[in-house]
Amino acid sequence: MKFYFIAIMAMILFSSCLKQSIPDAMLASKNSGGKGSITATLSYKINGNPVNISVADADNQSLYSYYTLDCSKNTGYYNIEGISNSGEITFTFYTDSLTVGTYRRAISYYDPFVTSYNGENEYLYAPSDSITVNITSYDKGHISGNFSGALTPMIAAGNPYNTYGTPSSVLITNGSFKNVPVFY
Amino acid sequence: MNKKLFATSLLFFFIIQANAQLGVMKLVGNGTKDYKMGFGAFIKTGFPVSEGSDATVEIGVDIFPMDGGYGTAMCPLKAGYRYTLDGTGKGFYVEPQVGFNVYGITSLQDKNGEDVDLKYHGVIFAAGTGYLFSISNISFDVNLRYETVIAHGGSNNLVSLGISKSFGFGRRDTNY
Repeated sequence: MKFYFIAIMAMILFSSCLKQSIPDAMLASKNSGGKGSITATLSYKINGNPVNISVADADNQSLYSYYTLDCSKNTGYYNIEGISNSGEITFTFYTDSLTVGTYRRAISYYDPFVTSYNGENEYLYAPSDSITVNITSYDKGHISGNFSGALTPMIAAGNPYNTYGTPSSVLITNGSFKNVPVFY
Repeated sequence: MNKKLFATSLLFFFIIQANAQLGVMKLVGNGTKDYKMGFGAFIKTGFPVSEGSDATVEIGVDIFPMDGGYGTAMCPLKAGYRYTLDGTGKGFYVEPQVGFNVYGITSLQDKNGEDVDLKYHGVIFAAGTGYLFSISNISFDVNLRYETVIAHGGSNNLVSLGISKSFGFGRRDTNY
């Protein structure tokens, strides 16, 4: 009798340590295709200043506002975007099929800004600019990898021409991302 | 056919000698703040295995409402071992139980605003204590129980306070 009572008490204590209720666990599993609740992260340094983005339950970012951290499929290209209080970053990959590998993006007058930091935008603008992204894993709709780059700051927006700063003077270093969900 | 036979036998067993129980209960733990106080109804029976202890079988329905017509319902089927502390079959007792959630459903609105019905089963572990007494030869049981249902990597945990009264078409002097 004593043994069974202790065994059941042990099972109750064990189950109480489960961090989710049954409905929450089922919803998380359903929304992640069976992988459970996933936290996506992205971090980098911009001229030595760190930017860190982390999104808990990344597969359930609101559909009614913008995503905080995601990779979205567009016609002919993919776009990774991360937004934080201190900075924003956008990568564009020109490919029809996203696979593990390295993607290098150089000067393009048609690209939107690549990063913003404390309100200042940085662009792929000068011939010496580029941003290189290395996707190291692509598994069940989530990508991980690293990136680095050199960009040109925009000093002032103008019409018809913007005023830019020193080419390749903004350095993106120590860039990495993990479990970023890919939305189609 | 076998399922029908089993269900009929179980029903017959409960009818011959059983307790009807009502309880109030509360879901506790993560993800339960939106639930109101729940309630449940049970039928419980058992047979003596020694002077002061009984093997018990219990089936019931637990309902935990939420605002907007949503909520959770579970149907636990449990077997237990009720042991009276003084060995007389009356007074204070402890009762560990194990069982199976025959049917569980949670209706809610997900983060996208869509109505979702989640259906599950799961194993059950429970530990309870209570007090058995009689008034005018009618047996009563006041009990407090902690119960957990485990399924899909999560658990529904509840605390229940219940009172039961014996009824039946067989013996009237039962303690069950």
